[in-house]
Amino acid sequence: MAKTAKSITSSSTAEYFAKNLQQVGFSSPLKAVLTTLKEAVDNSLDACEEHGILPELKVVVRKIGAGASKTSDLVEIIVEDNGPGLDAEDLPKVFGEYLASSKFGRGQCTRGQQGIGISAATTWAQLTNASGVRVTSKTKTMRKAVQAVIDVDIKQNKGLMKAKETIDWDRPHGTRVEFRIDGRVQLNGDGGLLTYLEGTTLVNPHLTIEYTLLEAEPVRIERVSDTVPEIPSATLPHPHTMKLGEFITHAGLYGKVEFGKFLRSGFSRVTDETLKALVKNGMPKALLPLPTNKLTEEQFKTAFQVISKTEMQSPSTRSVLTVGEESLAKSILRLGDVDFFSVVTRKPRICDFKPVVVEVALARFLNRGSEDESIQLLRFANRVPLQFDKSACAITAAVESVNWRSYGLAQSKDSLPSGPYVFAISIVSPFIKFKNASKETIDASDELVEEIRRALMQAGQKLSRHIRRENKEADLERKISHIEQFGPILVEGLVRIVGAKESRKLKAEEGLKKLLGRDTKEAQKDLSEAELRLNALKEKQAKAGLLFSARRHEEVSTEEVGDADADVDSAGLDDDAAELSMARGTDKRATGKLVEVKPGTAKDAGAKGTGKVASPEKRGTEKRTTDKTARK
Amino acid sequence: MEKVIRIRKLTKDIPKEVRVLCDAMLEELERGNRPVLEAIKCSLDNSFYNPKVGFLTPGDKRVRTELNVSSVQKMARVVFMLEILLANLSSGAVNTKRELYYISKGKVKKDPKLKALDFGDQDESDAIIDFVGDMLEVYREELNCFANDRGGQTYSRQLVVTETLPDGTKAVVDLSTLGTTPFQPKNKPQALALKAKKKIDFCLVVESEGTAGTLVANGMTKRHNCIVMGAQGVPSNGVRGWCKLIQEQLKVPMFFFGDLDAYTLQNIYRTLKAGSAASLIRNADFSAPEVHFLGVLPEDVKKWDLDCYKVNERDPAEARSLKKAKDTLSNDPFFQDKKNRKLAEVLEWLIKNKLRCEQQSFFAVDPRDPLKTEKIILEKIQKGSYI
Repeated sequence: MAKTAKSITSSSTAEYFAKNLQQVGFSSPLKAVLTTLKEAVDNSLDACEEHGILPELKVVVRKIGAGASKTSDLVEIIVEDNGPGLDAEDLPKVFGEYLASSKFGRGQCTRGQQGIGISAATTWAQLTNASGVRVTSKTKTMRKAVQAVIDVDIKQNKGLMKAKETIDWDRPHGTRVEFRIDGRVQLNGDGGLLTYLEGTTLVNPHLTIEYTLLEAEPVRIERVSDTVPEIPSATLPHPHTMKLGEFITHAGLYGKVEFGKFLRSGFSRVTDETLKALVKNGMPKALLPLPTNKLTEEQFKTAFQVISKTEMQSPSTRSVLTVGEESLAKSILRLGDVDFFSVVTRKPRICDFKPVVVEVALARFLNRGSEDESIQLLRFANRVPLQFDKSACAITAAVESVNWRSYGLAQSKDSLPSGPYVFAISIVSPFIKFKNASKETIDASDELVEEIRRALMQAGQKLSRHIRRENKEADLERKISHIEQFGPILVEGLVRIVGAKESRKLKAEEGLKKLLGRDTKEAQKDLSEAELRLNALKEKQAKAGLLFSARRHEEVSTEEVGDADADVDSAGLDDDAAELSMARGTDKRATGKLVEVKPGTAKDAGAKGTGKVASPEKRGTEKRTTDKTARK
Repeated sequence: MEKVIRIRKLTKDIPKEVRVLCDAMLEELERGNRPVLEAIKCSLDNSFYNPKVGFLTPGDKRVRTELNVSSVQKMARVVFMLEILLANLSSGAVNTKRELYYISKGKVKKDPKLKALDFGDQDESDAIIDFVGDMLEVYREELNCFANDRGGQTYSRQLVVTETLPDGTKAVVDLSTLGTTPFQPKNKPQALALKAKKKIDFCLVVESEGTAGTLVANGMTKRHNCIVMGAQGVPSNGVRGWCKLIQEQLKVPMFFFGDLDAYTLQNIYRTLKAGSAASLIRNADFSAPEVHFLGVLPEDVKKWDLDCYKVNERDPAEARSLKKAKDTLSNDPFFQDKKNRKLAEVLEWLIKNKLRCEQQSFFAVDPRDPLKTEKIILEKIQKGSYI
């Protein structure tokens, strides 16, 4: 036995995170920059949405010197929003105190949940550059803005406000945060800042953002929706979302209330009809009038078992937030020149006891990716891009599990498909099961993977309509070119070998033309049929009333899913999800001519480091040509 | 130009047949009909094996290529290649497949009108040459087209080869005088006569040419009256014809020694013994039906505790070898024949045990004895441990 026992000490939450910043996304200089930016933008967007403000963000990321370590730079990250602003006394709590959150455990689909991220960013700045975050904030009741540096008191888990002053600020309200941290900047690729900003733009159609990255010119992307998403209030729990222990604890809150009444008023989707169904499925009727606090554990267990096996209405859709197909469809056009795309929003489902909504946007771009490269996969959880540890994520598993070849895409076995496509998949749920605290990967449960897979298959069906038409078109082109190229060579070769006269040659050429002309007609017929099917689909969508024009594109519409003519594996697909699709104006006809040429976009400019502000006015002047055939 | 030696006496007049064929095609076109090219279907599903015949023979299935927009490219290429081959036949010129590939490329470069015919790589032109052979039912060699020499490096102290050259002169090669240099048969027809200075006890064909060289370097041909030959993987036409010649002229027992896996059994050993599905029309002259499979056999693995390893089914390449074994059992008439039941049992053993074993594992049986592999081989021959 030890002579003296070591004294047991307790540490503050801040101390824990200061020592384990890698757990919350600060595992390398590269990730530190992205995570800091991400946390600041998430906070801004959440604040704006909570107060019904259409967000307008300015982001600047630049190198301002050498970092403390050899491999890093001193990087300045500025995020400025038009949000409600914060009172001076709230600044230390928000930016310098861990687990100080207005959203913790509320069961809402907000980006931030626990109040860790932004305090961790302050800690990183403090540890690597000896200074926390400089915050400027103004609420609409303030005449002047308050500006201060916030540090984390690591021992006490408290925020410390330094250098506080009031300043004139030309904004009616908003918050500006400036971090100076040791880090490294990566713009492109999975973990790149541009990828993050693009993803954020995609799933936030109501966001106007202007960003300046390193030496590049500022890029401004305007909002395409003027509706602030309403963050649904938390609803009563659904009985199927609970485990037995939670069920008993929840019942404890209702004391003497009759058990039947507790079930009706303590849960969503439990009605008198549900109670009848429960009794029918084996719940003792005598339990219902008993006071809830008098039930034994055994009785709770019996009731819980019956509840688990009884079918009930899905959880309320009010507790989950979706971007919406229409907004997603408009938003995707902001990423570049889209060739065509398909969007699907599934109805909420219970996966792993929690309501979940899956949204999918698959788009082929004219100016990004190539046929040989893997598709670009953008993953989102509660509208926040997930950029690391792709392989372990439920979304990646679902994409790889789909046979994309049946939709016309190239794919090696158990891999992501390839081609110039962007696959954006968004999971929204009040309780997303992440694999780690840094929220980089969604846990791949069978139920969730299957739900994502179904959404992908629905979107894939839609996409295949476009691809099939293109294949027919390419087939026709190939056949025409074959006739022109090989026909005369074949005849001339035969004539030479046989030593035939010119008259035989001419006659054979005529015969060849007739033969191959017949084949071309067949191919043209195939193409027309494929086009007719695509156009019929578009008309059907138009009748559904959701036809609208896109700025640089032809049409966008929605339709009911579940077409009989889709020759893909649609087994098990629901017909309740609506999807959107869009065809670009560019069109290759049988002549093989390309009708439309589109200019570059804000994304191109940013990616190349020569970004320019692309105003909507300027874009409106771009040359457009209509796809006449598609409208017939 | 020297006369080209022929493998067999051919009654066909190839140039005449080609002209008749082309004339018929032209006539069909003049009438507005679709010309059709037909060839023997060279695949396993059109292969038959009769142990009395000894090699794979073709069935009735034929491949029909009818002119349409999809096949016009292939037809134009066939006619283009026929023209080149006809020119060679009339002048007596010979070329390798690779040379024909470059000749066709040169013609395309010279005449822009032919640009569409350009072959992307040699595989494309090889396929057209093979199709021409199958269509005319003649050997590639009879089209004056020869492949590069590969495999067949032969060592012996007893073998004497007499080659009659096209001009009638004779060259006598006594293999015992070549030192460390092997005799290698050409991958083209040769008029060879074989003679043994002393009685030759056996001929050993080794899958790996390197392993054959090692056995010889260790003195195997010094100590034994034998022929040792390296196959260098899948045997070329030259190796197959050479083995047939040894078998027919010397009548010595012939053994094949290679890896214990499905690829070796089907692609190497079966091709040597009974020909291949791809060369159905040539198997009669390019197979050595009497060759035995000496090993590596499953019984050797057990007896000598050979270093073999598990097939990793997660590795796609290794998993393919298991699938190959299963496919071979289900679709290869050679292994389905009851005479080859023991060979099929080897495949079944491979599938069941998910193992494979290299021929070189014999070297590790007793690392202190460099002659151990030779001793095991001889013991196996003496005790009849072969199939």
